Amino acid sequence: MKKQLGFFVDSDRCVGCMTCAMACKNQYHQEKGVVWRRVYPLKEEIYPHKERAFYSLACNHCEHPACMHVCPVKAYYKRETDGVVVHEQEKCIGCGNCIRSCPYGAPVYNPVLKKAEKCSFCHQRLDANRLPMCVMSCPVDAIQVIDITRLDSTGLVQFAPGFPKQPALNPSVRFRLPRLPEVVRRKTI
Amino acid sequence: MNHYEMPLVLFTVLCQSAIGLVAVNAFRQVSGPDMEPRRIRLEWLAAGLVLITGLIASVFHLGHPSGMVRALNNLGTAWLSREALTVGIFLALLAAGLLLMREKSNPVLAVTTAAAGLLVILSMGMTYSPPSFPAINNVLPFVFFCLTALLLGSSAGQLFANENSRPMMTRILTATLIVALVIYLIVPCIWLSGGEIMKLTAEQWLASPLYWGRIIIGLALPLVLIKALGKTPAWLWGLLLAGELMGRALFFAGTVHTAVNMGGVY
Repeated sequence: MKKQLGFFVDSDRCVGCMTCAMACKNQYHQEKGVVWRRVYPLKEEIYPHKERAFYSLACNHCEHPACMHVCPVKAYYKRETDGVVVHEQEKCIGCGNCIRSCPYGAPVYNPVLKKAEKCSFCHQRLDANRLPMCVMSCPVDAIQVIDITRLDSTGLVQFAPGFPKQPALNPSVRFRLPRLPEVVRRKTI
Repeated sequence: MNHYEMPLVLFTVLCQSAIGLVAVNAFRQVSGPDMEPRRIRLEWLAAGLVLITGLIASVFHLGHPSGMVRALNNLGTAWLSREALTVGIFLALLAAGLLLMREKSNPVLAVTTAAAGLLVILSMGMTYSPPSFPAINNVLPFVFFCLTALLLGSSAGQLFANENSRPMMTRILTATLIVALVIYLIVPCIWLSGGEIMKLTAEQWLASPLYWGRIIIGLALPLVLIKALGKTPAWLWGLLLAGELMGRALFFAGTVHTAVNMGGVY
């Protein structure tokens, strides 16, 4: 298998500060309301504690991307070198088929350009041997770039609770699940 | 709720209406009693106009309509490209039928055009059943679209059919109405026992006035009227069209996307 870059989302470390989402916004200056990376709090049914846990998610650069397969104008391609899924916005006709089809909600509609857009994995930065902005900005190292093909996945999961299970797409993301805080109680005498 | 996607609502319903008209016409041509070329051409002309209206509506869905032709670029994997191609083939066959059926009917061409129409519906069914909508990531869109084609085709076809074939068309319409009523009542109930997103979709549908409007105005009331009148009045087509438009608006606006529950149970 060729190299396949993906995001490692360490939910045990993430504090939900949204610096990653802000760094993305700061780098690309998306239009108002257009967001490529979101920080999702886990609902209490999954993480039953007053402390919250989070998943920081953007495009998962799937092995078999739904966006690429359904795009009628071939505006998406997958890079041979690292498996990053790139959207060529100049080809997009704004049909919205990718937005409807991606189960992770990664492509979003830009109402000003009337075209779709999504996380690019900062592939221009990768080519310059730099990290994506979200990864670089995270103050607790909760997002990292990983090569799925060479990953020791011990203790990691691909389809974490609260993340849609789509094995056919094979999203290039791995999670470390959040631990529940230890409850310390005084022993009764 | 998602957007109503009105251009897509109009495009899919009108396109399927045109396919239904041709399919029911082809059935009449094959079965024999309705062979008058003037009526056939009139019906095909109506189907063509309805289809073109739908195509015009579809353009408003695109952010950049000028790139519409490029929608054929990804026939290898994109069902939307295949949909565009099959619609083009159907339109071409429809035009050929109008040219060739001046003197007499042409059942072979009619059946071929209806078969192309079925391919359009198949492509549409695949396009609108992506993995992001678990409730419809299956054969349901294809079934819904076939029912729309049969309901609107067999009702609008009454305007063009001769007296002999009207009872047959009323029987087709009645059977389709019963099947559609059963399917549309059962499907949300099945979704209720599915995963979280399916359940959310069922709740959206069942709580929507569009769903009940579609059931009552578009299916139950026409069935009662046909039973009471013993025939299909010409204006019933309008009632059915209203029902189908409501149903399709709900299909696009009320079906829940997986991304809405990120961080929750699936």
